[in-house]
Amino acid sequence: MDFIRANLLTLILFSPLFGALLVLILPKGNKGLARWTALLFSLIPFVLSLFMWQWFLAAPCHAIAEQACFEQQATWFPLLNSTYHIGLDGISLTMVLLTTLLTPLAIIISFSIEERVNLYMFLFLLLEMGMLGVFMSLDLLLFFVFWEFGLVPMYFLINIWGSANRQYASFKFFIYTMAGSLGLLLSIQLIGLMMHTFDIPELMRTWPGYQGSVIGIDVNVIKNVAFWLFTIAFAIKVPVWPFHTWLPDAHTEAPTAGSMILAGVLLKLGAYGFLRLVLPLFPGPAHNFAPVLAVLAMLAIVLGAFASFAQTDFKRLVAYSSVNHMGFVVLAIAAAAWVGMNGQGNSAYQTDAIIALNGAVLQMFNHGLSAAAMFALVGVIYDRLHTRDLTQMGGLWVVAPIYGGILVFTSMASLGLPGLNGFVSEFLVVRGVWPIGSGSTAIFTLMTAISMLGLLFTGAYILKAIRMVLHGPLNLNAVEMAHGRSLEITTRETIALAPLLVLFVVIGVFPNWLVDVINATVTRMLS
Amino acid sequence: MIPLYFYLLVAAALFSMGVYGVLARRNAVAILMSIELMLNSVNLNLVAFWRYLAPDALNGQAFAVVVFAVAAAEAAVGLALIISIYRNRETVVAEDINMLKW
Amino acid sequence: MTIDLKFLVWLIPLPPLLAFFTILLFTRGSKVLSDIVAVGAMLTTFVIAWFVLIQAVFFTPHLGENPITSQFVWLSLGPSIETSFKTGTLIDPVGAVLLFFVPLTALMIFIYSTGYMASGSYWTALVEHGRPELALDHVEHERADHPEHTNEDDPNASAGHGHDKVIYDSAGRRIVKFDATIWKARFMAFISLFAGAMLLLSVADNLLLLFVGWEIMGACSYLLIGFWHNRIYPDEPDRITPAKAAIKAFMTTRVGDVFMLIGIAWLYSFTGTLSFREIFSEEVLHTMAATPALPSFGIGLSVAGAIGLLLFIGTIGKSAQFPLHTWLPDAMEGPTPVSAMIHAATMVSAGVYLLIRMFPLLSAGWTEGGPLTVPMTAMAVIGSFTALFSATIALAQRDVKKVLAYSTISQLGFMVAALGIGAYVAAVFHLMTHAIFKALLFMGSGSIIHSVEHGEEHAHHHGHHFEHSFDAQDMFNMGGLWSRIPVTAWTFLIGGLALSGFPFVTAGFWSKDEILADAFAHVPVVFYVLAFSAFLTAFYTMRQIGLTFAGAPRTHAAEDATQTDWRMNLPLIILAFFAITAGWIGIPAALNPLGINPFHEFVGGTLLEHPETLPFNWFPMLTSIVVALLGLGVGWAVYVRKPLAAGEVDPLKRTLGPLYTLFQNKYYMDQLYEGSFVRFFAWFSKTVVYEWIDRGLIDGLLHFIARGTEWLAFRNKDFDTYVVNGAGDELAEGVGNLGEAFKYVQSGRIQQYLAVAAAGLLMLAGVFVWAFFLR
Repeated sequence: MDFIRANLLTLILFSPLFGALLVLILPKGNKGLARWTALLFSLIPFVLSLFMWQWFLAAPCHAIAEQACFEQQATWFPLLNSTYHIGLDGISLTMVLLTTLLTPLAIIISFSIEERVNLYMFLFLLLEMGMLGVFMSLDLLLFFVFWEFGLVPMYFLINIWGSANRQYASFKFFIYTMAGSLGLLLSIQLIGLMMHTFDIPELMRTWPGYQGSVIGIDVNVIKNVAFWLFTIAFAIKVPVWPFHTWLPDAHTEAPTAGSMILAGVLLKLGAYGFLRLVLPLFPGPAHNFAPVLAVLAMLAIVLGAFASFAQTDFKRLVAYSSVNHMGFVVLAIAAAAWVGMNGQGNSAYQTDAIIALNGAVLQMFNHGLSAAAMFALVGVIYDRLHTRDLTQMGGLWVVAPIYGGILVFTSMASLGLPGLNGFVSEFLVVRGVWPIGSGSTAIFTLMTAISMLGLLFTGAYILKAIRMVLHGPLNLNAVEMAHGRSLEITTRETIALAPLLVLFVVIGVFPNWLVDVINATVTRMLS
Repeated sequence: MIPLYFYLLVAAALFSMGVYGVLARRNAVAILMSIELMLNSVNLNLVAFWRYLAPDALNGQAFAVVVFAVAAAEAAVGLALIISIYRNRETVVAEDINMLKW
Repeated sequence: MTIDLKFLVWLIPLPPLLAFFTILLFTRGSKVLSDIVAVGAMLTTFVIAWFVLIQAVFFTPHLGENPITSQFVWLSLGPSIETSFKTGTLIDPVGAVLLFFVPLTALMIFIYSTGYMASGSYWTALVEHGRPELALDHVEHERADHPEHTNEDDPNASAGHGHDKVIYDSAGRRIVKFDATIWKARFMAFISLFAGAMLLLSVADNLLLLFVGWEIMGACSYLLIGFWHNRIYPDEPDRITPAKAAIKAFMTTRVGDVFMLIGIAWLYSFTGTLSFREIFSEEVLHTMAATPALPSFGIGLSVAGAIGLLLFIGTIGKSAQFPLHTWLPDAMEGPTPVSAMIHAATMVSAGVYLLIRMFPLLSAGWTEGGPLTVPMTAMAVIGSFTALFSATIALAQRDVKKVLAYSTISQLGFMVAALGIGAYVAAVFHLMTHAIFKALLFMGSGSIIHSVEHGEEHAHHHGHHFEHSFDAQDMFNMGGLWSRIPVTAWTFLIGGLALSGFPFVTAGFWSKDEILADAFAHVPVVFYVLAFSAFLTAFYTMRQIGLTFAGAPRTHAAEDATQTDWRMNLPLIILAFFAITAGWIGIPAALNPLGINPFHEFVGGTLLEHPETLPFNWFPMLTSIVVALLGLGVGWAVYVRKPLAAGEVDPLKRTLGPLYTLFQNKYYMDQLYEGSFVRFFAWFSKTVVYEWIDRGLIDGLLHFIARGTEWLAFRNKDFDTYVVNGAGDELAEGVGNLGEAFKYVQSGRIQQYLAVAAAGLLMLAGVFVWAFFLR
């Protein structure tokens, strides 16, 4: 047990890798074996992260710059001064929990994949490792390695098991994200060069105040450049409007479980990057850029909702809803950026910024859950009808009452119905961002107000989807397309969704078990 | 005494005639004969030098005998080669044996 | 005793919420079990609520100053408990009033629902998309397989009896056996959630918890209005389908809700709390009233005013005030118990309750007799306008439920206007009485419709012509029902009289009178508008009663109508009792045998400053009596004395002429909204946002960059192939050419070689001689 506790993060991080390698060498004919092996190896990190959570609550660490929990450090590139340094605080804990929860569920949903199952599960587990690595790493190079690492399995997942337009979508996703990452790499190199270390906690302490120059360039120039490169890389991932257009294509063409993980976790990598790296390391440029970011966030919320409303493709509708929901996260991050961290900024709005960031992190978690559930539900229909066209559906509630019930319930969570999880985070964001700034800097207030239009249309597109799928007279075309197969949700799919549904209610009614952890970290971060 | 250069001149003349023969004669056997002439002129040179510059040493004589031997061997081999070529090509004209070219 | 009460209050919303989950997850297979769970839960709540009520009213002195409260930290925010968000319960006098009528009406509606959902034949899965012939096949299948549908449904039967349908696909394979039981169970689950949410809202001690209950009710209304989700009206193209009506309700109220959310966020950030007790303290209210809302613009709007307005907009949506009222009449597409629930007992009342709760904020800076604050002015204007506006529309409606719907909007306008002029207690009073008699009226209408439907099927089975689109809700298809459904008729009459404000013996009279009295004393304009609206109310109510019950039946369906069962009758009777007696608790002090107005005293204690008791004025009382009797009288004269015969046109149409059409079409507001907002946003999202911006601009830019990069890549390839590669090739070729040129040296001619060698030797000798001998 001590061994586990001492190496907990490494175990969580690399157990999917073992599973992946094992699945790869399993005999190809036996699909069930591959599936269950993969599921088992994805449950191991989940169980471990539950323990991690309990141990964290007993001895929490909320300031990564000083002390991170479950910290592990080992030499990696001594010449570059880059180490294998991993650790957690409240925010990364939340994200790790999300990842280890969603992956087994996505794998259960993936049981319906019939071709090249071994390869699929291999890629999936590798993807999990990549995502966990990003959240855990406390070293810039390590961060970057895992960041890029997650792209490759996703590319193949979309490319091989996706739908009709998968070539275009996977290519766009990969190239677009990687284009951003190039700048990220360059900046990391520059920082490493200047500071002779890639260690994040150390950089948090030393980088913001550093003065000097390297290879003849002043550090402030480098800071500005690095800030922009970092921002662009993360902005593409979140996605911040207008860098979002890869998302509808990638989400729509990916296989169901791929979309679940894409929307559920991969988007959060970008937001996490903002929180972990951009805000602490570049407080000055972040403060200056914050109003623009707020405007972009508002555009994401509003235009994402409108675009979603315009769709007749069920999956694309849900994909755009991700843009809409992540807009709230970005809005809160913008507000926090403006207020500033570590007491360096405008402390009149400190409480508001804390509330806003609490909302942001909680929204990241909540959206992960609800987006994953929505994509799983879309996948249920797609599995049977092999179409995502809403006009081909209709009146399915009669023939699939349980599915319909779950769909309505999940939709309510997605649109932020109070009593369910989405509302808590959205309310915190609105409450947090609204009062920030005054007079000429009342841009945040204005953006929050305009975002309400987006919130209005969130209801519109969700209800439109429900109406076109469930309501109205039964569309016999849909039944014909199913070729005799029952349209009702199966037990396996319900089991995959059940934890999410329960969490919707639990977080909606009693969110403090989670918010407390987030709040402690965010409070330390901002004060 | 007859001065040395008389002998050298004669040897040079013979040598030149030999060179001329090698370069200008058509028949391969004639070329060989010219080569023999060159070798003999060299012999003459060697002996002349021996007699006039170092009559007590045996180097000149020995060298001349070696040249004889080599000339003989070389003539034998050369003639054997020419016969072999003649048997293949029906000709001993040196100009016509030009296969080893580009 | 107070300690126990605190926990009991938490238990009030709990049973129906638990019933929701229980029914959905466990008892959905059995209608009986679901009914028991739902009604049982509501009964439990009712008992607990009335227990708390009695404790609060009779055993807790000064409830206003010492309300029953309890709190806990719901969200940790910031470094300390002070900055964290706490939630909890609060029972003060207003809360106690809600505890009186909400569980009562809800329980009645629940019992009613168990009877209502036992029969009714809306479960058709029609087929669209070009295969109507299959629909007939299905119907034929059903008729062949199942025996005649009887009036009384055996609730224990789980299959057959025309509720479970079998649908076949084009290959003749059975697609589904549609089970109606699950839906009947779901209905009870949804209304349980609804009731639970309303109760949550009622006991909330902070605005956020109130908002939670508020929104959950919105979601439930969506689910319930759209309950007959697969129903379409192919014969009535202008009629909205339940699915669309549900969306309309949700979205229209959501418009109000987003404004309200901003108001809540603003209030929270300004005061640091959302707890009612903390906000409504002197200093906080004073600060909010003094601070201007938009510092750089300074229009004279204070923070309190701005927040008040934002919250009021939420009420405009939820309580269907003009201009966000259009959803409510279309909400009649839902089953009738839903209409009772939404439009009487709960949801719309919640809107008014919000205003009541937030009254100190809305009236911050107002003193009695002084000028109204901005929100109050808005409330007075919109409330009175709505009251009149919807009363006129109600005059021309044919559908029995629609009349009641517009009547609800109108009555809510009364309440909103009352609050707008500062008549706090009057508004609470009217809220209470209205909930009771409106629930009664709606349930009565449902009873009427059920009876007519049964009559319709009875008539149909007896060989009369089967009309596909017989509207059982159209009052012009009724008539003569008084003798046929007496229980419904008498209770409906009582409810109608209460609505009209029939003097002295109905609850509605006393509450309406108090509003009018307050209006007369403070803002006479409002008084006259409301008085006229009251006249219209009485008139259209009597019109409704006359068309429905009086005279001879106008259709065969009405002729064969039969009384509904005890599950639907008992609630009517109970509520009718309260519709008569509930008003007596608020008889003005001057007329009251107790010497005081107990309701006024009790409820007035909620506010920091007890509202003044108006001196009694005979003029408003007289006006109340006159308008009620006059309206009822005229209605009686037109519709009861000479009841309408079959096929006869509404006499009102002749009188009003084009105005009648205007009223009947609801001033064409639906079309206005549809044409302007709905179509615009549909176009905007699809064309502007998705096609132009996302696909055209952003993706276009991306594709342009991609193509540009591709072009560059190809040029690079060309450069590589032709220039770089070419150079290498050229070099090699050059060398080869050189070799080709030089190869001729190797001619194979020995003598040539020897000649070259000789020449070379000569040259070397020359060089040798030159180098060693000539220098």
